[in-house]
Amino acid sequence: MTTAIDKSIQRREAWDKVTGQAQYCDDLPAAGMLSARLLTSTYAHARLRSVDIAAAQALPGVECVLTGADCPQLFGPLLQDRPALARDKVRYAGEPLALVVAVDEPTAEQALRLIEVDYEPLPPLLKPAQALERGAPLLHGQGSYKKVLEDIYPEPGTNIASHYRIRKGDSQSVLQKCAVIVRQCFGLPPSGHLAMEIRTARAEITAQGQVLITTSSQSPYSVRKQLAEAFLIPAGQIQVKTPLVGGGFGGKAAVCLEILAYLASRGVGGKKVRLTLPREQDMATAPCRLGLEAEISIGADQNGLIQAAELNYYLDCGAYTDIAPYMAKAIAVDCSGPYQIANLSCDALCVYTNHTYATSFRGFSHAEQTFCLERTLDMLAQKCGDDPLQLRLKNAIGPGCTTPTQVAYSAGLIGDLPQCLEKIQPLSCWDGGGVTKIKPHTVRVKGLACFWKTANPPTDAISGAVITFNPDGSVNLNTGAVEMGSGCHTHLNQILAERLQLSPDQVHVVAAPDTQVAPEHWKTVASLTVNMAGRAVLAAADDALSQLRVNAGLALGCPDAEIEIAAGRAFSKKNPERFIPFKDIVQGYKSPAGQSLGQPVIGRGSLMLKGLSLLDPYSGSGRTGPDWSLGAQVVEVEADLRTYTYRIISASTAMDVGRAINPELMRAVIAGGMAMGVSLASRESFAYNSDGIPLKPNLRTYKLMHIGEEPDYRVDFVETPEQGSPYGVRSYSEHGIIGMPAALGNALSRAFACRLNTLPLNPERIWRAATEGDS
Amino acid sequence: MIAYDFMYMQPDTLRQARENFLRLSESGQNPVYYAGGSEIITMCRAGDIRPGAVIDIKNIDACQALSLDEDWLRLGAACTLNRIKESGLFPLLGLVCGRIADHTNQCRITLGGNLCGSIIYRETSLPLLLADAKLILYGARGRRALALKSVFDGRMRLQPDELIVEAQVPLWALNAPYYHMKKTANEKIDYPLLSVAALLYEDQLRVACSGLADRPLRSKQVEVALNRRALSPGTVAAKATALLAEQARDSVEGSAAYRLFVLENTLRSLVEDWHDEKI
Repeated sequence: MTTAIDKSIQRREAWDKVTGQAQYCDDLPAAGMLSARLLTSTYAHARLRSVDIAAAQALPGVECVLTGADCPQLFGPLLQDRPALARDKVRYAGEPLALVVAVDEPTAEQALRLIEVDYEPLPPLLKPAQALERGAPLLHGQGSYKKVLEDIYPEPGTNIASHYRIRKGDSQSVLQKCAVIVRQCFGLPPSGHLAMEIRTARAEITAQGQVLITTSSQSPYSVRKQLAEAFLIPAGQIQVKTPLVGGGFGGKAAVCLEILAYLASRGVGGKKVRLTLPREQDMATAPCRLGLEAEISIGADQNGLIQAAELNYYLDCGAYTDIAPYMAKAIAVDCSGPYQIANLSCDALCVYTNHTYATSFRGFSHAEQTFCLERTLDMLAQKCGDDPLQLRLKNAIGPGCTTPTQVAYSAGLIGDLPQCLEKIQPLSCWDGGGVTKIKPHTVRVKGLACFWKTANPPTDAISGAVITFNPDGSVNLNTGAVEMGSGCHTHLNQILAERLQLSPDQVHVVAAPDTQVAPEHWKTVASLTVNMAGRAVLAAADDALSQLRVNAGLALGCPDAEIEIAAGRAFSKKNPERFIPFKDIVQGYKSPAGQSLGQPVIGRGSLMLKGLSLLDPYSGSGRTGPDWSLGAQVVEVEADLRTYTYRIISASTAMDVGRAINPELMRAVIAGGMAMGVSLASRESFAYNSDGIPLKPNLRTYKLMHIGEEPDYRVDFVETPEQGSPYGVRSYSEHGIIGMPAALGNALSRAFACRLNTLPLNPERIWRAATEGDS
Repeated sequence: MIAYDFMYMQPDTLRQARENFLRLSESGQNPVYYAGGSEIITMCRAGDIRPGAVIDIKNIDACQALSLDEDWLRLGAACTLNRIKESGLFPLLGLVCGRIADHTNQCRITLGGNLCGSIIYRETSLPLLLADAKLILYGARGRRALALKSVFDGRMRLQPDELIVEAQVPLWALNAPYYHMKKTANEKIDYPLLSVAALLYEDQLRVACSGLADRPLRSKQVEVALNRRALSPGTVAAKATALLAEQARDSVEGSAAYRLFVLENTLRSLVEDWHDEKI
């Protein structure tokens, strides 16, 4: 019997959130803090002839004004290519080029308007294809960047920031001989994360030289590492605190604002400075979601069995790389989708352009890659006259197959796609993808897409957990995982409670990680927190249990091997009527006679990922993540054939989650991903004019899906346990988004009998595709 | 955040409002009349405008009228869209108001503000143009009454110190059959790709639209084309659309060609409904 898992327990922070009492970074008192504001570029690409700050500096209340000249370092987790404030050149509209620190925000804002910038406009590069042309201007000269990690492959003299290859079998000659071949190009625009909480960071430097950062971040330990390395500060002198994060979606994994906040504080002698981006800068200045171009060729035999595929992906990483090379790598690693493709060739390039730079976004480039692949598979199904579901079923990855990076399939490692396809049918009322007429000009159509995803952490990623006890026998859990709505603290609570055989109420998760207190956790990204931190928690629980057994043995006068732990008590196995509650043994044991026995219990657990490898630069073989998760998704639309408008009726997901340890929470997180997917597929994009200036720079014009426009979300689980992970649960929190754009694209392409090859799928796009051919 | 200090005044009478305006203008304060503030606040925040003073007219009784008399429905300039909608007095205008922005903003945006604003759509003008509404203005010569169309060519043509007191709508319009269709890029609440309003008067269709061009418009030629009952809805919609082809605008929300496609569809559906006596 379980005590804490397989139960739909509430999020641990639910009441704080719904009552508005939850404290996010910018809710913390700001009394006595100076305010910083950023001046950002109004050009997508320009030389900076001069930045005149004299008038701004002279404004009363201004404490300091910084420009690129004040910080020569370059930043980036993979390639150091990004200045904190632009130097010599600006490479995207919205790039920070000066920073004002003043007594308050209005003064800082006024000072910004007094800074005079003299730009010499340069032609902008706005598409990967354009940046790859021979003779295109080089955005970073002849490689004015430094590699941080081994497996980044910039090509100096080009705008290619990295390049990953998959070579498996003989795609070229097999493809030519295929009975059915589909070739298709795609182009997907960048868009924003649009977390409810805008990005914010605070910094101060104490007289002892201690650097204190409080930030809305998914990666406090990366903040510490990057600041330490760039500014040559001993890492131990840097303390990073992260309160609850109000939505991250990958956008708060990048280290960006913290560097500026540190520079601001350093500029005013270490005084406390608060830097909060207005929403418009949160959209244009902070890193965004990637854009992607692709050329897909897939060949199959007459029966629709895929024989070979050639896949070229060009990731639009914008002006700087941040984590984008690894998003290109992630595309290569999972390029086949959850299918068996014996002959496979994939080139995934990460290309500089003059867009806002990209960083991780929910799904880590999988939603974009999946759109291209799954749209092509639907074209293949159509050509073969197949039910799109049957086509996927007969090509599903299974025993005897290997992944693109040549990892052998097992259901435990990768998951069970046929079962997901089985479950999605009743869930979505699958009808073969047919077009059903419900009114003279109105049809209902369903579109299907499958997805899979593994993670791409560094091969030595770590996590840790420390547990301490309270006098009532309850437990405190301290990890470096950040709660940002993905439910990780609740899952860690459940995992610990289950192992200690306690009720979840008896576990208190420390809400706000502090790098000086909590053991290092790589980053709260990649949906890996439950796996990595969960394993550390289990180790810490086992450590605590063995200490509890010793104390209990001493208290009950029997060997600790004879002690059983359950329901907050330690029992003697031989005489179960003899027991002692946790509260009497967690701080050591005091006998009735006053004798002290044993030691206070502190559980510790840690984890370093094992068995991962770098990819072979030529074939791409290797293993990047601990497991895969996969699933099938369906979107149902009601389409008006006269006006090219549509309504999304329902969205369904059947996902192999390993084990549904908290069904309601998992359903909600997956539905949240589906909602984001529907929103970005139907209406979101960063549109730029021909000069590279954003056309929808605020939330009046940039549209997200709103309450009231939501379809009916349906979620079902397949449970194929993953051997290495706590209680068999797989990564699942990002995945709801991945197949949504593709499923919507497939539904609409069928409804309107056209090929939709771009996003977002608004009526004008569909009208163009239906009346002029490809969109 | 509005990053600078400004003066806020709340006069009780039209005379006080105008006196304040003139005095502040003379002293170089660059005042603006202020009602709901949704646009002024947004533009101040973005740094697009920088008034030194705002003169809030919400406290002026004359601007808050919402009543029927023997000949007219009187709609004060400071009436919010939501108040107009909930009054139910002019169904077409209520429908249009209920489709501008979201409920929170409908409780803030006023009729006068929507007509005078710099955001180009000014959708409340459509029902007023169709109804041959009058405006009561207050300025140098005190109150004056004018046909809306004589001071509104897609945007208000007021003297700098002049303000709208109220709009007056003839009673026939309140019960006339009507039609309104708003199309957006792909979002329930958004600026219109196209907003088309129609009112039936003496068995003739009156039509005005916003979103197609850089300002709202009502065209006699278009109405003549649409009222040719002998022709099919598809034919008259195509002819009417052709008349407006040159005015269609391109923007990030939609291209000119697509707006015209939407216009033709909408006009066809309007005329179909009219022929089928569904409006």
